[in-house]
Amino acid sequence: MAIYEAAFGFGLVSMSVIALAAVGFTMQFGITNMINLAYGEVMITSAYVAYYLDRAGISIWLGMIAGGLFGAVFSFALNRIVYAPFQRKGTSNLGMVIVSLAISLMLANALLPIVTYNSVSYSEHTGSIVRLGGLVVTINQMIIIGLAIVLMIGIHALLRYTRLGKAMRATAANPTLARNCGIPTQRVIDMVWLITGGLCGVAGVVAALNSDSFAIASGAGFLITALAAAVLGGAGQPYGAMIGAVIIGLITELSAATWSAEYKEVVAFGILVLVMVLRPQGLLARRGALAAAG
Amino acid sequence: MRIRPTTLAALAALALGACGGSTPTGGGLGSGDLLVGVLAPFTGADAGLGPAYYAACLAAAPSINSNGGVGGRQVKCQKFDTRGEPADAVPADSQMVAGNSNLMAVVGCTSDEAATVAPIVDKAHIPMFCMTGQTEFNKTKLKYFHRLVPADIYDAYAMVGWALYGPSPAPFHKAALVFGNDIGSQAFVEPATNAFTKLGGQVKNFPITLGAASYRTEVASVIAYQPDVIFTEALGSAGTFLGELKTQNGGKMIPFIGTSATIDPTWFQQVSQAVGVSTLVSNYGGVDLGYDFSGPAYSEFITNLNAAASQFSDAPKYKQRGSTLHLYDGIIMTALAMVATNSKDPTVYNPKIKEIANGTSGATDVHTYKEGIDALKAGKSIRFVGAGGQNNFDQYNRRNLKNSIG
Repeated sequence: MAIYEAAFGFGLVSMSVIALAAVGFTMQFGITNMINLAYGEVMITSAYVAYYLDRAGISIWLGMIAGGLFGAVFSFALNRIVYAPFQRKGTSNLGMVIVSLAISLMLANALLPIVTYNSVSYSEHTGSIVRLGGLVVTINQMIIIGLAIVLMIGIHALLRYTRLGKAMRATAANPTLARNCGIPTQRVIDMVWLITGGLCGVAGVVAALNSDSFAIASGAGFLITALAAAVLGGAGQPYGAMIGAVIIGLITELSAATWSAEYKEVVAFGILVLVMVLRPQGLLARRGALAAAG
Repeated sequence: MRIRPTTLAALAALALGACGGSTPTGGGLGSGDLLVGVLAPFTGADAGLGPAYYAACLAAAPSINSNGGVGGRQVKCQKFDTRGEPADAVPADSQMVAGNSNLMAVVGCTSDEAATVAPIVDKAHIPMFCMTGQTEFNKTKLKYFHRLVPADIYDAYAMVGWALYGPSPAPFHKAALVFGNDIGSQAFVEPATNAFTKLGGQVKNFPITLGAASYRTEVASVIAYQPDVIFTEALGSAGTFLGELKTQNGGKMIPFIGTSATIDPTWFQQVSQAVGVSTLVSNYGGVDLGYDFSGPAYSEFITNLNAAASQFSDAPKYKQRGSTLHLYDGIIMTALAMVATNSKDPTVYNPKIKEIANGTSGATDVHTYKEGIDALKAGKSIRFVGAGGQNNFDQYNRRNLKNSIG
């Protein structure tokens, strides 16, 4: 029984990390109609930004802020310099996916000579351990869970209660109509890339901190998990991504405790396939935060 | 558990062949650069393997080139990334073979991809030196395949031997097997399980998916099993797993014994960052072949390896990496075989590699490429005893080996 309690605790940590990554990813898609496959590489690049600051003696929590800022600025620039020009030329959605895949490969290979293939760790990668009954978590993991909760509430508040959030929802629902109604959609999209890029950067640092060591190759794994949570919840739906993160985070850990750990991803992705068969639009496709108001 | 080099077992010994020396018979060595293909994972979970092999080539090339090359031909090194996946390895292999008519040898090909790439290289008649201990190559019919590492079962037996019979603080009677889910790592599980169980030990397998972000639940399962010792090879993920193990176990580490692949600077760096240097030193043991790390061959190797830093900054890190030493020797033996046969045709010089490795009756021992060339010019037959020691190939081109632990 203790192993299930422990696995549940680990699932809470995993879902927090996945949620941070998946919400940013799905918002990018929901509002800008861009499936950004370079998302995982931006995450790992941000993680390395924090790593080099960590090596310079700067606290990992300040490094996380720096990673978030890097992710925001880099994602903003990526859209402005690469994605937006292609979209203006009428490149198809499939074409845009290929462009983002190319960016992902270019980014990974450009980083390789700098960071090398070696795995690295943050100096503060564990923190002291806390036992709550059968739950075993470190202080850092508790901070990660708290951070995820705060940021998810923040995203909810942004989308529901601010002018920017309402403009985002309007842009997501119908960009042409939104523009005709006087919403500066280009500025809204810029803000979306900044905000989701920031989430991406923070998620990268958190994911790297959560893993005792990480390497350039870790970016692909980050993307796959975020993508799975986003699709499971309903592509483009932040609340759906949160639910997807909960399901994938908990199921992977609990299935590892129940069966062999070899099958934990098989189980998680098996459920994803099952949901896709029964509900192809995802869990929250019609009731998401980005659904048109009213 | 302290690191203490001790010879565990002499696994095999082979009488030297008695075939006589030969005179050059080939059709000439040709012109232009020669290429050594380093076919190995440079990205992916096992990305730490390829650089060790590339470093071997970068060290061997100047040894040959600064001594007249291969009949004047300069040796170059090129990486071909298999990503540690058979599906990616085949196109890389095909591209290497089809695109380079000057390919003199192939080094690398780990257990991740050897089964798929070795037949292609063999069909192209290119001598290859593979770093795989897979059982399927124990009695291979591939003529151009050479194996310079022990079979995986010997690594597994050496780990079991250490756990049960020492060095101190063995014996350990309850073992957890933590191996990655890749082909190369899983090859150890069955022989280790069988041997440990047969000798009275209790063992349980905890396979892990390489490249996962965390292994917390797997670690909790291992801790709940309460093993005395962990046998492991999980390249790329060892730091994450062992770091989480130490954390969840209240800062106390369970002793762990690694395969020869863990005796690697990349692995040490990764694990030491995750668990701390003192924890690593006091809890880790690795099994490997015995090396002297001395003598004229090693001296030249280390000089060239350090010089290779201008092309590959990490090269000097591999100064005590067994696979780097062996592949360095393999490349030099190939070059000597080409000169000895005066042929660029691998069907001619491939058999000579074994002859140079094993020596013939009355052969002169040589330790460097220069010594070998000088002896050949003097009309002598040679036996190459390189940086990794003597190479005795058996009928299946497997190097007969002696394992050590330390």
